[in-house]
Amino acid sequence: MTRLPVIALILISFLCALFFYVAEDIPVFCDPNSPSIKYVELFSMNAEKVEDFLEKDVIPKSLIDQFLRRGFPRPSRVGKVDGREGEWNAFIPKEELHYSKEVKYYLIKKEEDQLKVFRYAFVVRWIEKGEEETGVPNMVTHGLADYRGFDTLGEIVVIFTAGVSVILLLRRRGRL
Amino acid sequence: MIPFIQLFSLYVIIHGTSGPGGGFQGGVVFGASFILYIIAFNLIRGKKRLPESVNTVFSSLGLYIYAGLGFLCIIFSFGVAQYLNYGFLPFTDHFEKNRAVGMDLVEIGIGIMVMGIIASIFFDLAGTEEDREEGEKKESK
Repeated sequence: MTRLPVIALILISFLCALFFYVAEDIPVFCDPNSPSIKYVELFSMNAEKVEDFLEKDVIPKSLIDQFLRRGFPRPSRVGKVDGREGEWNAFIPKEELHYSKEVKYYLIKKEEDQLKVFRYAFVVRWIEKGEEETGVPNMVTHGLADYRGFDTLGEIVVIFTAGVSVILLLRRRGRL
Repeated sequence: MIPFIQLFSLYVIIHGTSGPGGGFQGGVVFGASFILYIIAFNLIRGKKRLPESVNTVFSSLGLYIYAGLGFLCIIFSFGVAQYLNYGFLPFTDHFEKNRAVGMDLVEIGIGIMVMGIIASIFFDLAGTEEDREEGEKKESK
């Protein structure tokens, strides 16, 4: 037996084992509630007085200061998350260019005596508002053709360039 | 069998917005139907069925549909200049429905373009060396 097929067999079986391991190790996709894709933690602060304000649906001034000092947009109102104790949604107001409607932007969560503030990821808006905003039920399509239209235009140009270069090299053999 | 494949690919493209499917997938299936035709018969009959000139027109037409739709959006958005924001196109009364129709047209453009490119790459690769030499002789004459 020659050496080359043996080496190839070893390499391929190594790759197979690696891919099996990767496939077993993939985190759970498509779970919209898994924290890694739902929100990003911004900061945490002391919860003592702030919580009372939040219970009355009022944003305390110390919290607004925290947002503005870090350069985040100013929240306009808060509301409780349905069916969850100690969690609030903060909304930011309608802004002309970037957001044409009022948008759910921050999640405020109470953990023990700390108040943790998260920012919602884009995926949440995609899942919850996509069909309403674009009128298309297929989540992949309205992502591909509408939200990421420029990206798809770039992909189309890549395919077009590939086709044109094959025409140039093979059909016309390099002559322009 | 080829008409059924082509019908299925048109179904995939048209239903790209309401169900599983889309322009890329449908275009690839449509291009594969031509590849099947060439494998079953031969390259010359395949080139009769889909001439090179028509194929080249198809492959750039898709890109023009996509980019032109974005340009129409600039025109109809009246000074806001929002490229690829299909809501401003005057197809229906609703902003959201306009976006859906615009997305449909974009998917059709993608499908046409991918079909043309796949078929043209296969036509170029499928020619044997003799074919190419004959072609060169014709060109040199």
